[in-house]
Amino acid sequence: MQFNDKVPIYYQIKQYVYREIIVGHLTAGHQLPTIRQLAVTLTVNVNTIQRALSELIKENVIIPQRGKGNFVTTDQTILTALKQQVITSEFDQLYDNLAALNIPPATMVQQLQIYIDQRKDDQHD
Amino acid sequence: MTELLNIKNVTYKLNLASILTTVSCTVPTGSIVGLLGANGAGKTTLMRIISGIAQGYHGSVAINGETRAADRKRLVSFSHQLDGANNRAHLGQIVHDYQTLYPDFDQSAYQQLADFLELDSKKRLGQLSKGNRKKFVIALTLARQVPLYLLDEPFDGIDGMSRKKIIASILKWKPDDATILISDHHVDDIANLLDAVIVLKDQKVVATAQADTIRQQGQSIEDYYENIYTGGEQHD
Repeated sequence: MQFNDKVPIYYQIKQYVYREIIVGHLTAGHQLPTIRQLAVTLTVNVNTIQRALSELIKENVIIPQRGKGNFVTTDQTILTALKQQVITSEFDQLYDNLAALNIPPATMVQQLQIYIDQRKDDQHD
Repeated sequence: MTELLNIKNVTYKLNLASILTTVSCTVPTGSIVGLLGANGAGKTTLMRIISGIAQGYHGSVAINGETRAADRKRLVSFSHQLDGANNRAHLGQIVHDYQTLYPDFDQSAYQQLADFLELDSKKRLGQLSKGNRKKFVIALTLARQVPLYLLDEPFDGIDGMSRKKIIASILKWKPDDATILISDHHVDDIANLLDAVIVLKDQKVVATAQADTIRQQGQSIEDYYENIYTGGEQHD
C-alpha cells in the first residue's frame, strides 16, 4: 500500500479499513488478520496498526473478542453510517474545491449531472 | 510508555576531537525509533556507546535502568558489520560462533530469518554480495532475543528488493516488547516504520519528535529532517 507521507499513517490505515468494508473485501462479522500480519502486509510498525485498531474499536466498527481476534461489526446501523460518512467526506472535498472556484450550488448540481451523463457515454463507447 | 533507553549528557572525545557533545535522549519500550543524521554526525559512535563497546565517555547511559557497560552488553543486539570476521569462514561457522558467544541467540529464529532472506549457510562470508551480507547481519542481529536492537544503517548501498526483504524481516521477527533504534542518513527508506525520530547534527541531538506529530502538521519526516539540516546552514 502506498501511503501519503504527509498524513499520519494510523489515520490512513483507518481509511483503508473503512474502504475495505465498504467495497465488501471485509464483510460484517469477518475476522481481521492479526496485528503482526497487518504490519507486515502494510509495511508499517505494529504500534501504528494498534493505534488505528484502537480507534476503530472505539468507533465500534471493529469488535475485539478476547483470545479470538478482531472482527468487523455485524451492526448494520454502524455499517450504513460508516458508508454515509465516507461518502460525505468525499463530497466535503468536492464541494470545498468547487466553492473555492466561486461556483454556486445550483451550477454544481447541473455540472455533476452533465458529468455523470458524459461518463456513462464514455463507458458505452 | 516506560523508557527502555535513557541517555543523559553523553560527551565523547576521540584523540581530542569531539564526536558527541552533551547528548540526551530517551527511547520508549516497544517503539521503533529512527536515529537520523548525515555521515559523520555521530550515529555509529552513539550506538557503540549504548551497546557498551565504546568506553571513556562522560555522562550516563541506562538500558532498563542498567548503567554498567557489562550489564548493558547483555541487553543489546548491535548490528556489527562483521568487519573483523574472516571472509573465508562459512556462514554456518559464524552462526555457530554467535551461538557460543551469546546465550540469548535463538537458533530457530535464526533459521527462519535465514530461510526468509534466502541465505545459504554453506557460502563463505567473502562470497556474499553487499545485499546478502547486509541480510546476514540482520539475521544474526535479530536472532538474539534481547530488549534492545541497534541497527546501524541496515540499508546502506543495497537494492530495493533487498531493502524490502530486510524491512519485512524486521517487522516479522521483532519480539513484541522489543525496542529498535535504527540509524539512517536517508529517511525515506524507513519513514513508515518509525514511531519517532531523533536527529543528530554537529555532535548534538538537535530534535526529537513523534512521527504522527510531524505528519499532523502536514510535513513528511523527510521534509522535517531536511529542514533541520538546511535550516541550520542559514545561521553559519
